[in-house]
Amino acid sequence: MISGGQNLVSSPPAFSIDAKRLLVCTGSTVSVFSTATASLVSSLQGHSAPVTAVVVVPTSSLFSYCWTASIDGTIRHWDYSVPECVKIIDLGFPIFSMVVPSLMSAPEESDAKSPNVFAYVSVSVQGRNPPDGRPKPRYGLIRKCNLTHFRRVSNLILKETERPESLTISPTGEFFGIRDKRKLHIWKVPKMDSDSAVCKKITLHHTKTLTVLAFHPAGKIVAAGDVTGRILIWRGFGARKFLKTSGLVNGGVSMDEENKFDVRGDDAETCTVWHWHSSGVRHLSFSSDGAYLYSGGKEGVLVLWQLDTGNKKFLPRIGSPLLYFVDSPDPSFSSISCADNQIHILKMPSMEIIRSISGIKPPLSSQDICEGLSSRAAFDCTSGMVAVQTENYGVQFYSLFANRGVYEVQVCERNHQSVDEITVVVSFVELSVDGSMMGTVEVKLPEDGIGGLVCLKFWNLDDNKRFSVSTLIYEPHRDAHISAVAFHPTRPMAVSSSYGGDFKIWVCKEDITQKGQMVLNSGWMCHAVGSYKNKAMTAAAFSADGSVLAVAADTVITLWDPNNNVLVAVIGETPMPITSLVFAGKSDYLLSVCHGSKPQLSVWSMSKLAASWSYRLQIEAVSSAIDLSYFAVLALLPELNECTFKGDGIILLFNVTDPVPVACWSVTKAKGGGLAFLKGDSSEEVVDGKPLQTQLAYINGDREYSIFHPYGKEGFELSTNRQDDLVCEETGQFGYSAIYGELPKFDLKRSTTSSISSAASERPWEMIFSGSSHKLPSLTKLCSEFLESLLEKRPATVE
Amino acid sequence: MEESRVEKNFPVRTRVKSKSRSQKQSPESKYWSSFKTVEIPNLISVPSLSFSPTPPHSFAAAHSASLTLFSSLTLSPTATLSSFSDSVSSASFRNDSLLLAASDLSGLVQLFDVKSRTPLRRLRSHSRPVRFVHFPRLDKLHLISAGDDALINLWDVALESPIARFLGHKDYVRCGDSSPVNSDVFLTGSYDHVVKLWDVRVRDSSKSQLQVHHGSPVEDVLFLPSGGMLATAGGNSVKLWDLIGGGKLLFSMESHNKTVTSICVGRIGKDFVEESNQFRIMSVGLDGYLKVFDYGALKVTHSMRFPAPLLSVGYSPDCSTRVIGTSNGLIYASKRKIKAEENQKESESSLFWRVAPLERTEKKVLRPSHFRYFHRGQGEKPSKGDYLVMKPKKVKLAAHDKLLNKFRHGEALVCVLGNKNPGHVLAVMEELVARKKLLKCVSNLDEENLELLLGFLHKYCTLPRYSSLLMGLTKKVIEMRADDIRASQALRNHVRNLKRSVEEEIRIQQSLQEIQGIISPLLKIAGK
Repeated sequence: MISGGQNLVSSPPAFSIDAKRLLVCTGSTVSVFSTATASLVSSLQGHSAPVTAVVVVPTSSLFSYCWTASIDGTIRHWDYSVPECVKIIDLGFPIFSMVVPSLMSAPEESDAKSPNVFAYVSVSVQGRNPPDGRPKPRYGLIRKCNLTHFRRVSNLILKETERPESLTISPTGEFFGIRDKRKLHIWKVPKMDSDSAVCKKITLHHTKTLTVLAFHPAGKIVAAGDVTGRILIWRGFGARKFLKTSGLVNGGVSMDEENKFDVRGDDAETCTVWHWHSSGVRHLSFSSDGAYLYSGGKEGVLVLWQLDTGNKKFLPRIGSPLLYFVDSPDPSFSSISCADNQIHILKMPSMEIIRSISGIKPPLSSQDICEGLSSRAAFDCTSGMVAVQTENYGVQFYSLFANRGVYEVQVCERNHQSVDEITVVVSFVELSVDGSMMGTVEVKLPEDGIGGLVCLKFWNLDDNKRFSVSTLIYEPHRDAHISAVAFHPTRPMAVSSSYGGDFKIWVCKEDITQKGQMVLNSGWMCHAVGSYKNKAMTAAAFSADGSVLAVAADTVITLWDPNNNVLVAVIGETPMPITSLVFAGKSDYLLSVCHGSKPQLSVWSMSKLAASWSYRLQIEAVSSAIDLSYFAVLALLPELNECTFKGDGIILLFNVTDPVPVACWSVTKAKGGGLAFLKGDSSEEVVDGKPLQTQLAYINGDREYSIFHPYGKEGFELSTNRQDDLVCEETGQFGYSAIYGELPKFDLKRSTTSSISSAASERPWEMIFSGSSHKLPSLTKLCSEFLESLLEKRPATVE
Repeated sequence: MEESRVEKNFPVRTRVKSKSRSQKQSPESKYWSSFKTVEIPNLISVPSLSFSPTPPHSFAAAHSASLTLFSSLTLSPTATLSSFSDSVSSASFRNDSLLLAASDLSGLVQLFDVKSRTPLRRLRSHSRPVRFVHFPRLDKLHLISAGDDALINLWDVALESPIARFLGHKDYVRCGDSSPVNSDVFLTGSYDHVVKLWDVRVRDSSKSQLQVHHGSPVEDVLFLPSGGMLATAGGNSVKLWDLIGGGKLLFSMESHNKTVTSICVGRIGKDFVEESNQFRIMSVGLDGYLKVFDYGALKVTHSMRFPAPLLSVGYSPDCSTRVIGTSNGLIYASKRKIKAEENQKESESSLFWRVAPLERTEKKVLRPSHFRYFHRGQGEKPSKGDYLVMKPKKVKLAAHDKLLNKFRHGEALVCVLGNKNPGHVLAVMEELVARKKLLKCVSNLDEENLELLLGFLHKYCTLPRYSSLLMGLTKKVIEMRADDIRASQALRNHVRNLKRSVEEEIRIQQSLQEIQGIISPLLKIAGK
């Protein structure tokens, strides 16, 4: 089984020490990407729940260790170059965030006894049972634990919050803090940390809900962003409290002190406010030299603030909201994580995007707003690619076997703005069977009834195997929305059906290239228009050989000869309007799916023109194997049954002639999911007389997918023989050497005499001055030589 | 690997117009339409046009009782011969262009010296109007004439007397041609539907060598340049005959709607197609069409319409001039536009013997006294091995795009309305709809700009391309800004105009629906 499509941006990534690797939390694994090629190098597998934090140990470039924390309540220590798990610490609480201050501070001269490493974790715990029978509330705690000699989580609770908050640490490791509603809590890490050492805490206040904070690398400056887009910068925080040379103070006293500085009496010298972002600030980060501040938010614009003057520089139009900005140890790289599951690697002084680690783009955020308009993923069965619509009006092609984005085409040429309301949406993506043609439908929603537009576009593959627009059709069915687009399996022919009551057959004129002449105007043309009793045409499909076109007219299925546009037969009817039609491979059966109050999956026999069998199931997706008479459906389970099965959906594999399913798998997040049979490699063995070529791909509502052999035995593991491109790692230089080149090795033993070519140590001292004068070394050198040669040499044994 | 990609800045785009699916102009019709036509007016019906066979290929046009010589370079008349007692019917140049023969309806054939324009000979033998006179192409001493008396005379020009007389046609003889390969053979065509081939060496005057039956009165007849084929025109058809094969019909071109009055052979440019396929038959008819017929491929390659019945056509041997005579006294003379480089070539070759202008030898050294000194070297082209540092191309954005990028929606709308490009206005409006800001913009327009918007709506809201958006918008605008419109006289005028154009559109739609009502039953019947 291959699985992929994980979320790359669930938590901030981390750079390795040499900045050649980027450690990204992908679900329950940590994927290690190369920053030079943006391809996957290895992955750390072991956690059983999503990983929430990864901290790289910055000791030396020889060892590559990191700590990870996960929801499953464990902290693991890894050697990520091997990769292998070194140590597991089980805290027993789901961990949402972790910082390790002692790793950040500069390694002091190694004592005989290495100090204990302490981590501060933000965990979520079950609260005490409230008196009335309500469920136990979960709340967040900030706690400390000793990573070197772990016995148990220390009793010390730094802070109790309503929800687990993410911890932010200063680059020096001196402070860490959280934001809690309209307050900022900052702790100073005790110098000699121990299980019981109490951290001193200050609180900074604001009138709006804070979203993010960042510490300055050197000075006592902390920056925080709020939901309205303001950035607040406190300078000289904690001057009064942290510098006080008091001994241990217990929690009760500190509470009293906190009350002394009320409304504007924060423990900070100044507070500056900058306002550029129009909505909440999502990330803040100081540059490593402390001169600049990076901020980003929903607008998808990375803003670079000059800290002293407040001047701004922008990297605009990144295309989706920014989530995290991570600086690398190498000053010429940094990475930004975007909400559309992309991690861009920036070339730093110039802020250019040089590389992208692209995950599968997430489904539209406001899917429920435009229900019925959002498209399913389209599968290219031959090359194992899936085409998914993206929020910025494009289509992303994602390779299922390689688990990475291949390329993206812009369907609607508009600038993307991250706003809540969706007004333009790519509502259909459809690929032909051989993957050489694509049809897309984009819908512009009208404003108060004016200005709506439906556009149908046909795309052909160009020379570099990318899709380019071939034909653009405005309002193909007047103002009616399109219900389905289907391609002929062998010829350049397509059908589009509309709710307006008609369907159109489109044909593509082949290019006639005459020598020395222009390519004649080629493109898709309307070949025929059909309608049936003015009923809404809700679905369309071509049969496997392309001789029959089935179009669903509301509750009946009409069969047409696509070449002559002649109605051949009408079959049906179903209880509710049909939403999709699929021919079951090469067999003479047709499947129809209808939703609504009486959902139904029906199998129709084409030879008898009658229903063969049917199920009352809420079907989310149907796919049929191209060359076999099997088909698979993804059914949503009713809420009652959810406990008997693990997930909320079930995949059933049927043989068309038999209503008893051949196999079934239960899946999660089935709503909005998709299914497809993929053609595998031809060089595969046959097990039990059933060919293993075809694999079944399931993509769930969050666009995570898995690929498995539907005919294999239960638990048959697919050997992942994906041919990854060889990771061609450039041994690039960074930092100082990238600019000025490698320094010559500074060698103390290089004797001053080595530069003298005519070193005369072996020679008798009489010979030193012999030879022509222009060949002699300078007198100062010769003099020392001469005097040296006069000295009596010690015996070698002394040395 | 997905390459790094920053989302680009997309300016608003106007809707793509559909391209016509009809085939583009073929190169040959492009050639023929490269002739630039001028009208030569103030004549009376032009029944005959003939080109002189030697450069500069002046042409003679017969009209009424005079014959005018035109220069084919300037298309202006150079001389007029008017010593005719009746309408001139036909004219012909001798192959050295020194003599010109002309016939008139009185039955007289006259010969003129082209240079001095003095009549040299008067040939009188025909008793009825002469319709056709022709110098054989390879013969300087004889002349053929024929006319309404159905007689064909072969004249000795010097003696001023007919040396042979051919009888055989049963009706008016209207046309004829001599062979381009044999000086003794010629053709005549007559209203008795027959074209006869005569040989002057056979003195049996009533026996033609060959005859073909065209099927309708023959208006014109022509030897094709090979000499082995002939073309006849009559009725609505032009027919091709194979002489060597004994007068076999090869093809009948019937694309004219009325009588074909004249045909001629023309050559298209040398560099254009291979040698064997250069000749075209040009035919003109009373339907006003000029058709160019490729008799190698047996198809009409170009067709052109003139607003008058056409009577005669002529094409200069150097392919540069085409003249067409009409019945209402116009001559459509066309000259091909010769490209500048061709001219250049010609002028260079003519310069060959002249002394070239003295080349400036010493190079002028730029001094800092001159402005150009400070720009020296900036126009230098990179040599092959140079590494080019490219400047990133600056994206040019229209003013409304810049405003849209800054979210200044109202200003963008006003800015684009001022530009008078309806496509751009629509594109900006669509973008505003996508941002859900259009109605807000409309409600915030001040009176002056509202006037601008109403003017735009009046002009374009009924255009089918734009109406789907603009009709809805118009309604909204009037609803939303009713109070402002009521308050201002100028706005009320605009609304009145708007109302008028909407009423006009409704009328058009109604009449179209009426037409549809008539047509749809017919289509139903046709479909069955």
